Order: sequence, then structure tokens, then C-alpha cells
Amino acid sequence: MNLPKIASISKKIVVACVGLFLLVFLLVHMGINLCLLRPDGGAWYIAASNFMGTNYIIKVFEVVLFAALIAHIIITVALQIQNWKARPVRYHQPSKSKTSTASKTMIWTGGLVFVFLVLHFVNFYFVKMGLVEGKYMIQTEELFSTELQNEYMAATQGKLSEEEVALFQSKMEKVNAIAVKAEAEGLSSNDMKWIMNLSAEDVKPLEGIVEGVEPDFYNMSYELFGNKVYSIIYLLLFVALAFHLIHAMQSAFQTLGLNHNKYNKFIEGFSWIYAIIIVLGFATVPVYIMCFV
Amino acid sequence: MNTLDSKIPEGPLAQKWTNYKANQRLVNPANKRKLDVIVVGTGLAGASAAASLGAMGFNVDIFCISDSPRRAHSIAAQGGINAAKNYQNDGDSVGRLFYDTIKGGDYRAREANVYRLAEVSNNIIDQCVAQGVPFAREYSGLLDNRSFGGAQVSRTFYARGQTGQQLLLGAYGALSHQIARGTVKLHERHEMLDLVLVDGKARGIIARDLTNGQIKRFAAHAVVLATGGYGNIYFLSTNAMNSNGSAEWCCHKKGAYFANPCFVQIHPTCIPVHGDYQSKLTLMSESLRNDGRIWVPKKKEDVEALRKGTLKPTDIKEEDRDYYLERRYPAFGNLVPRDVASRAAKERCDAGYGVNNTGLAVFLDFSTAIKRLGRDVIEARYGNLFQMYEKITAVNPYETPMMIYPAIHYTMGGIWVDYELQTSIPGLFAAGEANFSDHGANRLGASALMQGLADGYFVLPYTLQNYLADEIYNDRVSPNTPEFEKAESEVRQRIDRLMSIKGTKTVDHFHKKLGNIMWDYVGMGRNAEGLQKGLTLINELEQEFWKDVQVIGTADSMNPELEKAIRLADYFELAKLMAKDAYHRNESCGGHFREEYQTEDGETLRNDNDYMYVAAWEYQGHNQDEILHKEPLVYQDIEIKQRNYK
Amino acid sequence: MNFTLKIWRQENAKAKGRFETYKVENISSDCSFLEMLDILNESLISNKIAHPVCFDNDCREGICGMCGLYINGRPHGNDDGVTTCQLHMRKFKDGETIWIEPWRAKAFPVIRDLVVDRTAYDKIIQAGGYVSVSTGGVPDANSILIAKDKADKAMDAAECIGCGACVAACKNASAMLFVSAKVSHLALLPQGKVEAANRVQKMVEKMDELGFGNCTNTYACEAECPKLIKRSNIARLNREWICARVGKEK
Repeated sequence: MNLPKIASISKKIVVACVGLFLLVFLLVHMGINLCLLRPDGGAWYIAASNFMGTNYIIKVFEVVLFAALIAHIIITVALQIQNWKARPVRYHQPSKSKTSTASKTMIWTGGLVFVFLVLHFVNFYFVKMGLVEGKYMIQTEELFSTELQNEYMAATQGKLSEEEVALFQSKMEKVNAIAVKAEAEGLSSNDMKWIMNLSAEDVKPLEGIVEGVEPDFYNMSYELFGNKVYSIIYLLLFVALAFHLIHAMQSAFQTLGLNHNKYNKFIEGFSWIYAIIIVLGFATVPVYIMCFV
Repeated sequence: MNTLDSKIPEGPLAQKWTNYKANQRLVNPANKRKLDVIVVGTGLAGASAAASLGAMGFNVDIFCISDSPRRAHSIAAQGGINAAKNYQNDGDSVGRLFYDTIKGGDYRAREANVYRLAEVSNNIIDQCVAQGVPFAREYSGLLDNRSFGGAQVSRTFYARGQTGQQLLLGAYGALSHQIARGTVKLHERHEMLDLVLVDGKARGIIARDLTNGQIKRFAAHAVVLATGGYGNIYFLSTNAMNSNGSAEWCCHKKGAYFANPCFVQIHPTCIPVHGDYQSKLTLMSESLRNDGRIWVPKKKEDVEALRKGTLKPTDIKEEDRDYYLERRYPAFGNLVPRDVASRAAKERCDAGYGVNNTGLAVFLDFSTAIKRLGRDVIEARYGNLFQMYEKITAVNPYETPMMIYPAIHYTMGGIWVDYELQTSIPGLFAAGEANFSDHGANRLGASALMQGLADGYFVLPYTLQNYLADEIYNDRVSPNTPEFEKAESEVRQRIDRLMSIKGTKTVDHFHKKLGNIMWDYVGMGRNAEGLQKGLTLINELEQEFWKDVQVIGTADSMNPELEKAIRLADYFELAKLMAKDAYHRNESCGGHFREEYQTEDGETLRNDNDYMYVAAWEYQGHNQDEILHKEPLVYQDIEIKQRNYK
Repeated sequence: MNFTLKIWRQENAKAKGRFETYKVENISSDCSFLEMLDILNESLISNKIAHPVCFDNDCREGICGMCGLYINGRPHGNDDGVTTCQLHMRKFKDGETIWIEPWRAKAFPVIRDLVVDRTAYDKIIQAGGYVSVSTGGVPDANSILIAKDKADKAMDAAECIGCGACVAACKNASAMLFVSAKVSHLALLPQGKVEAANRVQKMVEKMDELGFGNCTNTYACEAECPKLIKRSNIARLNREWICARVGKEK
């Protein structure tokens, strides 16, 4: 297959641009994660997630994000393979040149971040896709949809046949089971918007009766981070991300040719601060849940 | 004894080159493609010649012994390049540059060549700037100049302390451009081992591929020799390790006359020898003498204490120091020309006042200048040199005086060429340091770069074309002729002979010994008796070499020992010629100082009546006396004076 | 001083190499690294132990760029801003074991022992690392004005000696510092500006083709460059590249 030859610098420019885009995404994601810490029963978190899940511009960006991520991975791996090939016989002595650990380990820290992503996808994104079971939630108005209410009205007015009433009742039982379960946990089906923390068994009967069952990331997060082993793995992987990011931003600037004696120090400092903010932001959630919940 | 025709064009001095160019023969573009030229050497002269010839449309093959043309030793020149631009409005002109060069060379250079050199010097600067050489600039954006020894004007263009490097990179760029265009073919890691003559004309070379020992033939219509000087004959010199005189010598053996071989330049400010393991000497820029004061102790006991290490140079009191240059030359002081400063240092060391453990060093002291100007000023002027000195010696020159000693630096002598830079072999041209032409008996600072580029960019493209105009009637030269066959088999025999000695001593062992003999007897100060003794010693050493040298390894692989042995074998013969030339020249001039011929003050004493000529030697066979040809030097436009620096 | 040397020996390009151990004794601390190898070679020959170790060297004053050894994990050894020939034995501890390896890169194949083939650099220059001017017919030198700071910056880049330490140091064997130094030198000057767009593309194309790795901005090159060429040149190269590509017509 004759692929068009793309110059090394072109590839790197793509990696750099995509990298900067991913950096912005991380900041947004971190902001949403921090909503988990608000003692509002997940209201902000759900509102934010909901916005991200429904806004059309964001939906377009979701596609872009995936494309970007895949491009970032494929190109960097391809470049790395070339880099390995560029030195077929390795040195006997390890390099003692003065370089930063972060810069030398990008492919490895990148790999660890990829491991994290897989974990993250299994835990969260796959639930959304319906590939993996998680926790669910449903909105009260969805639970008692107009359709159900119409049926209820029809039933109370005696417009339905017996068979139809029996069917309606069995539907209501299933729906009520969730409402009852919610009430048992101290939640009222009237005064709150979302009925949360439902298991797969809870929501399965609702199939075909009501729509609007959503994954309950809020409670899933709390449950996952409640698991100390998981939290510690999560935190360790974020250390890898920290290393990745410390070099990432300044490296991207260098690759894009944005280098100026006056601003180099600033870019370097900013890269560090950005990486620290991102990682601390993400780490706060599991640390808080591990220690205080 | 024969007289040589240097083919100087008719007309007044200032018109000669113009006349030549107006009347020379040309080759039309279609014919240029059919003509092949071999250029040996990729320094300033070789690279610029090949690039220019390639651009004109000739087919050029260029050879270098290193892995890249950019390694040639032109790269190490620090100070700058002269040109008569008169950008500083200080009264410079072509005429003045011409005069300074002739006078600096102690009236032993050819007038017409030097005038041409001064004339084209300005074109060189234009050319280099166009190539992107980053010469130093003033804040106005115009070119900056600095002053240099032997001149009263500021005419030296420079690129920090790396002028040679930048000029060579410029020429290398031009060469690379032609290689990309396909007009020049580069043969790296190839060493020329013989010149091939067909019907008395230079028609090609035999070269050895240094990576695998293959002997190869290359044929052409003309050969240009640009292989630099032979200063490494002294073993210790400021030349690069691979610089050698073998290409010149094999041309000499094939009939090219060798001119003024005894004219070598000794540079006064080099880092002294510190041990017998030392491989080369490092030059410290001449500019240091602007602010440094040179001295040795007055008392012998201080010298002893210094050598033992019980006394530090800074402990020696002012009144116990002998600032011998200031004492002997009150007018010029520490700024006397290179040859004078070198001899004065040798005189003090010979008298037992040398200051390091070998007794061969003098102090170059900046304490007075630091006191007067402050450390910052000195650092701004010489910071990089001081740092280099400290890297090599681990001594901080801001606190302790530097130690310096003269070292072999440049060879004014070389292959004899006429006005066209053609040697006595038709079709063989020599350029740059490899020829003898422009510096007489002593070269001024910043003139070597000028000469190399003048020859390559602006002289050879004309004169070589003039020669090649006749060659259009000849087909491509074939390397499959008996002449090539014979030359190749001679080269193989020479190599086999060296490989088969299998003695007990290394090549460097002999080279160091030869170097010592040359330094002692054919060095800074020479006399008839010493030269005779030197000759005997060289002969003895040569015989021992051919009996007892050990060249390890094989001839058909990369073998630096073999390379060195081939070069050293030639050096023995060249050494003898140098000694003979020095012996025959019964006068002192420039770098050639015969102790018998000096003024009352110990300065050079020329004999213009008997020796105002170029001595061009013709090879007659191993250990046969060479025949001397004389080219009288006629000065029509210059008044001849005795140099005086008091 | 005494040292144990572990030196890479390889008969020719195709042979399989190996490390050999040699001892050198009574070495002066003022001795340069290459002079120490000279001493070793003299003893290898005199005592008929082995073929002398081949290593590239020429000017021995740090300007020709011919020498280059990978010494104890660093190109040009344990000193900053020097070439191998300017490295002195006083920088080592008495009795130390010194590992000496050739430059390692696909684009720099070993010829023998510690000698490598660096003609790849020349090929990159031939691809466009020059101003395409022929001899003669150029304007007066002072008709081209160049601001002093620009000229100084160009000179900073032009100081590159082409030794290959940047490639040797880089974990990816990337030649970006070398290429960027040349591109910067010429792009900063009005004479070189004319062909700048074409030059940068040609040189990068050739660099890729020759099998050098890709720059990942670790800056090992900058740390090991004997002439202290700055990483900012690489950024400038990237900039020149982007401008050249963006402005390129079909």
C-alpha cells in the first residue's frame, strides 16, 4: 500500500494540536468531576453531565474528541516505532545526558494514561453504551410519563377493559417498585427530580414502559472511589498523567514553533501549573471520597 | 641552473590581471560538460575551486580525506580575513594591502600574484556575504572590521573567533549546491597517493579509499591540488592530525617543482607542550598580545623554584620579571610580528629561563591589563580564549599568567606555480597553502583565508579554463591506460613494502623523532652546522624507519597506521629538502632565520643581491640531489626596505 | 592515573562487534581523552596485543567536528560544551572504568570500531542547506544590511560543527538540532530568506528519508551540543516549516 509520505514535522504538529485540545478537554472534565464534591446530592453534577450529554455542539465535539484521541495515539505510536528503528543497536551505557524524566517517558506515561482510559471506559462510558451494567437513575417525570398518566386517567374513569387494567396495574407495580425503593431510602418521588442509585435489576422491568433511564455516574463514582484499591490505582495513573502533562504543553508549544526567549520560562511554568492543577483537581475526588465518605 | 618562467602578463602591475582576463581563452558551455577536473582537498581553496568550476559547467571530482568536506583544517582559522574594502575610511586600498603583504613576506613573494590577491580580496567578501557567512556587524547593520598584526588599517573581516569555520561552511555550501546539481562528485575518505601523467600532462590520480583500502583510479583533463601545508612534519604543530604533505610530495616526485620548502611560520602564542604524549599544539589567537605582557623571571633561582612548584608566578616581584619584548623592542613591545616574537621566546628559553617543567614556555600576563581595564573588559575581549585555555590546562588565566610557546603553524613554501597557478607539470594546478605563491617568507595574519578563497573563487576559474581551452580536442581520459596501470602498481608496491617491514617500533615513534630533529635543526633558528647535522640525523632515522617500522593490520581495511606510515615516508624526503633549502639560502628572511645572518640586534638580515629569488626544486630520485631552479623576484612597484620594529 | 577501558571493537561495517577491556596506566591528568587513546594504541601495537582502536579525529581543538565518542553514557563525555578532543583525563576519577562506544544511529552506521559514517549530514546539506549563489555577480557586501542582533543569532546557529552529538544523545537519534541550526542560520539572514521555504522542506524531507528519528523535545541534544546550540533553533525550524507548508501552492 502506498501511503502518501507525511513529513515527521507534520505528524508532530498534529500530535501537538490534538494534545492541546485534549488539555482543554481535561480541564472541562475536571470541572465536572469537582461537582461531585458539592453536597447537593449530585444536582450540579447531573446538570453539568446532562448539558454535556445533550448539547449538540458538545455532541459534535465528542466525535472530534474521539477522533483526536485516536489520532494522538496512532501517530505517537507510529513515530515511536520509527524512533526505535532509528537506533537499531542500542548503547550499552544508559544515557547520562541532562534531560527531564517527563520528556523521556512520554510514550510510557502515555501508555499508562491509555490503560487508565480503558479502565475509565469500562467503568463509565460502556455503561452509557449499555455494554456493561452499572448504576442507573431516572427522572420522576419520566417515571410517571404522560402516557402512563393518561392510562391512569382512563383506568380511574373505567374506560379500560379488565385486561387492559390488569396490564396497567402490572406496569404500575413495576414503576411503583422503584418509587417505593426510593422512598425506602428516604427519597420522595415527588420532591426530587432524579431517582438515583438504581441497579440493573431495578431498571430492567422498566423496559418498554418508561424511557429516560440514565447511568448514574454520580453514585457510581462514589461507589468506585469508595473502593480503596481502585482509588489508589486511579491516583497512580494520574501521577503518570501528571508526568505526561508536565512535558506535554511545553513540548506542544515547541513543536508549533511557539518559542520565545522572553516567554519560554512562562510557558514552562504554565505547563507545570496546568499539569498540577489538572491532576490535583482529578485527584481531589477519590481522595475526598476515600477519606471522608 | 635554470631560470623559471612565471608567465606574468604584460602591462602595468595594476592592469596585469585585467589584461589576462581580457585575453584568456574560454570554453563554450557545450564543451565544458565534456571536460573533467579533479580537485584534491576540500578546504577553502579546494571547495571554492570545485564549486566555482562546477557552477561554470565543468565535471568535477573532489576528494577529501575526512568524512566530510567541512572538516578541512581551514575550519580552525580564528582571527579573520583581510580585504581592501576600506569600509573604515582609514586609508586602505588595494595598493596598501599589496604593499603590506609584500613587506610582511620580507620581499620574497611574487609581485604580480600578490597584487592580484589584493585586487580580488574585495570580491571574496562580497561572495561570502552573498553565501550567508555571518560576518560581525555594527549596530548600523554594516560590516565590522578589526585590526590585525602587520597593518596600520582595520581591514580584517571576522565572524567571532571562528572566521575560518564560517568561510569554509560558505564554500562547503556552494560545493554542496554543485554536488546536488550533479556537476561535482564528492569522494570522501579518499586519500590521493599518486599523480598520473600521460604524455607529460597531469591526467589523473590514484587514490585509496580509507574505509576499505581499495586503490582506485580517477582520470581527468586537469588536476587541482589544494591539500594544504606540511606543517605536521614537525609532529607537533597547530595543524590538524590528518593534514599532511603527501599529495604535494607525490606531485613533486612526478615533476612538480617544490618552492621555498624551508619557509615555515612559527606562531608565538600557542599552549606549550606539557608531555611527551602530546599529539598537537593549540593556538591561542594572536590578538591576546594586544593586552597581555610577555615575561620570564630575571633570576635563575626563581625559574628553578617555578619548575619545582615551590613558587607561584604571581609571587615573583615586578622588579624580578624580564619583559623581554618590551625591553628589546620598545617601539612595538609585545606587538612585534610573529617571527620576531617567536624567536625572542626561544632565545629566552634556550638561555634557561623557560618557566614550565619542560623549560619551554614563557608567561603571557594579563594582570596589568586587568588592573587597568577591569576583569569585565578583559572577559569581553578574550573570554572564549581564556575559557579554552582553562579547559586545556586547568589553570585560570585571570589569576595566574598564561604559559605560551611558539609552534609551527603554516608553511609558506609549497608547490611552485606560475601566475596561472599552474605547476611545472602541465595540467596540474596548486591552490591555497599547497602552493608557495603569495606570502613570501612570512605570512601576515588573516591572509591565509584570503589567499585560499582568492585562488579558488577568482583565479582558478579563469586560469584553468585558459588551460582547458586546448583540451576540448581531447576525449575523456581513460583510466585504463598503461600509465594508470603503472602508477597504481607503484602505489601498491609502496604499500606492500611498508606492510612487509614488520619491525618493532610504531609510526608515531619515528614521527616524534623526526619532529624533534626538525624542530631542533630546521626550526625557528637555523645554522649551517645544525642543518648539516639535521640532514644526517634525518637520513639515519629514515633508514631505521624502513627497517624497523611496524605497520599493524592489513592494507585492505581501514588502517590509520598505514595512512600515517605512508605520510611519514614522504615526510622524510621532504624534511631533507627543507634542510637543504634552508642550508642553501644563506640569508635570513621572514620565518627563515639563519643564525649566521642577523643584524646586531638579532634581527633577520636579508641578502637581496644573492637570494632575491624563489628556490624551486626539481626531484631527481630518492636520495639524489635535487636540481635548483631560480625564479628571480623583480620588484618594479615597490621600494625594498629592511624590516625594523624597534 | 590508571583506567580500565571498555571499548567497542568492530572489524568492519558487517562484522559483529563486542566490547574489549584494556588497561592504561600512568596517564597524566593533563592528557586529553584522545591522547589517552593514542597511548593505548601505541601500547597495543608495541605489545602486539591488538589492532589499534580506530577513532575519528582531526583538528583536536574542538572545531572540525570529526571526533565523537560516546563516553560513559554521554556524547563527548562528562563535560559540558566540549568535543571529545577537548575532554581531559582530569575529568575522570583515578581507577575509573570508562565505557567508550561509537555514535549509535541507523543513519550513522559503524565503519570500524568507533568510526561511524556521518555522510548523512552532508546529504541533508546537499538537499538545500546553502544559498544557491554561484561565484561572481553578487552585490557589494555592504549593500545587504543585517541588524546586529540578527547577525549574532545567525552566528549562534552557524557555530554548529556537524559532529553528530545531537543525534548520538537523542533517545530517538533525531537530527533536528543539526538541521535546525543550518535552517536557522540561513533563515535569519536576508540572503538566505529568499529560498527559506524551499530549503526547510527539502532538508526535512531528506532528514526523514535518511532514517533519523523524530524529535520528542527531550533536549538531550541541547545538553550535549559541544557548541551549545539552542533548542530555540528547533522551534524556529518548526515555525519555518509551518510557514512553508501553509504558504505552499499546489
